[in-house]
Amino acid sequence: MTSNFYLQLFRLSWKALRANAFRSFLTTLGIVIGASTIVIVVGLGEGAKRDIEAQYSNMSVTTIIINGPSTETAPSKLSPDDIPALTTIPTVKDVVPMLSGKVNVTTSESTGSWTVVGTYPNFADVAKLTYVKGGFYGQTEEDEHTKIAILGATVAEELFGKRDPDVIGETITLGKKDFAIGGIIDYRGGSFGPISIDESIFTPYSAGYRYVLGKNGKFSFNVNASDISVLEPTMNALAVALRGTHNLGPGAVDDFRLRDMGATVASAQSSSQTMAILLASVGLIVLIVGGIGIMNIMYVTVSERTREIGIRKAIGAKDEYIMWQFLNEAFILTSVGYLAGIVVALAIHWLLIGMGVKIVFVPWSLILSLVVTFAIGIFFGYAPARKAASLDPIEALRYE
Amino acid sequence: MIKLKDITKSYYIKDVEYPILKGIDLEVKSGEFVALMGPSGSGKSTLLNIIGALDKPTKGQYWINEQAVATLDSGKLAEIRNTYIGFIFQNFQLIPTLSTFENVLLPSFYAGQEQRDKAKELLTRVGMADRLENKPNELSGGQRQRVAIARALINNPELILADEPTGNLDSKNGAEIMQLILSLQKKDKKTILMVTHDPQIAKLANRIVHLKDGVVVKAIKNDK
Repeated sequence: MTSNFYLQLFRLSWKALRANAFRSFLTTLGIVIGASTIVIVVGLGEGAKRDIEAQYSNMSVTTIIINGPSTETAPSKLSPDDIPALTTIPTVKDVVPMLSGKVNVTTSESTGSWTVVGTYPNFADVAKLTYVKGGFYGQTEEDEHTKIAILGATVAEELFGKRDPDVIGETITLGKKDFAIGGIIDYRGGSFGPISIDESIFTPYSAGYRYVLGKNGKFSFNVNASDISVLEPTMNALAVALRGTHNLGPGAVDDFRLRDMGATVASAQSSSQTMAILLASVGLIVLIVGGIGIMNIMYVTVSERTREIGIRKAIGAKDEYIMWQFLNEAFILTSVGYLAGIVVALAIHWLLIGMGVKIVFVPWSLILSLVVTFAIGIFFGYAPARKAASLDPIEALRYE
Repeated sequence: MIKLKDITKSYYIKDVEYPILKGIDLEVKSGEFVALMGPSGSGKSTLLNIIGALDKPTKGQYWINEQAVATLDSGKLAEIRNTYIGFIFQNFQLIPTLSTFENVLLPSFYAGQEQRDKAKELLTRVGMADRLENKPNELSGGQRQRVAIARALINNPELILADEPTGNLDSKNGAEIMQLILSLQKKDKKTILMVTHDPQIAKLANRIVHLKDGVVVKAIKNDK
């Protein structure tokens, strides 16, 4: 069998499929959907994974967030007064208090509602901030309740209508008090504990508490343990220390909540992974159904073309040639289905990206889809091809 | 050319034996034209299928050019059908999705090399040169049988097996087809074995072999 033989074989199969173009199209549809589903699912999985990574990119796995309990039975006693007790724990690396709340913000250009965060100067180091203009405040401003505001990248862009506006020293009104703009932070993406850095305005804790947020602000601590291995004992020690400073006796309920970010990140990642596996199995099931469709149609084709098979055998086609011909037809259906599936998948990618859905094109998904699609197409094409090859030529010739 | 010795064929349905051929001895010389006659159920089509390597005998020996055929596997039988034998069927047996030209080409494709020039030449000889691209359903019965004859000749086989080739044709077309088949013997020196019901057609053969209930009842030599 020469390469010319395969070329002719391909031509014959193509002709046979063309003769039943609409049916071939319907048969292929299952493969198209299955092949594209795999590519899309992998893309969605990757998109979700990157989204989670970006969301938590500012968080360290050693981070522990402390905030008030979700059920507001009693006001939380969390406050900067807890800090000395917390920092004495040897495995605690740093403690950053944050008081945040939505506030009306006015500049010379516009107004809007933004999150104001009152925090200690060490926030800048812990969050590893970099700036397009100016910088963060220091301990002096904290001690003197200085009305200075540092803007997140998105806040600056929205308030002043352009990226990285040159507005250092200009006045910004937070609630009712005028603050001076001291710096603009580089674009970061993601979140830092309960807040998004890009969408927040930072002030010294003292000024934020006294002039802007007061008792309406939500308080939380961002604590880092010195190492992931001591996360568990550190959390226990933090709880003990807070119960002490809040004077909670035995049996009293905690008025705070500890959350370790490592566990949060891990659970978010694993849930996105579960989702991806779920979607991938949907793709596989679609493909198997598509494969059964191919098998079904190939069986119909074989019985419809029984006489043709008889003729081919009578004029000298060997069993394996007949088998090759039908396998080849399954192969062509699968190939066309795969290629169309890829085009559909890319189109859907493009559409979803346009709609703002987080989906990332992953090149290896094409290979995965190829392998799975062809394995299924050939697997389900084999049985009908085998049947065609084993037909008795005399019976086949008599078939009406 | 071909030699059959004690060819027996039985079908078994639920272990009950139904004998179709009960020990056929037959010899056909190279270049000879033999007509097979007999009532329905006499086993003539089964005999033709065995000679055509489409079917295997239950018992007995069969040689084509000294080559024992009865014991070959299906791949070898396919090769024999492809190279030694050209079939002409009562109902033409052309592949409906292929054109005239492609139908004629097909046996040469299975032989490993498409004989495109020869296919055109043969179609010209049977008077179908202007119908190369037509599908079988666009042709009359007589035209289809011409295409089938061209197909039977493409691999230049020594033996032509015809199963009532004029059975589905009117008398005019039937006569033309018979002229073509006779020319295969005279001009191309082919050996021809033909099943027929028509005594007029059988008279064109060198020899008539009568079958009844699976045995040869008489053989008549025609003087031509």
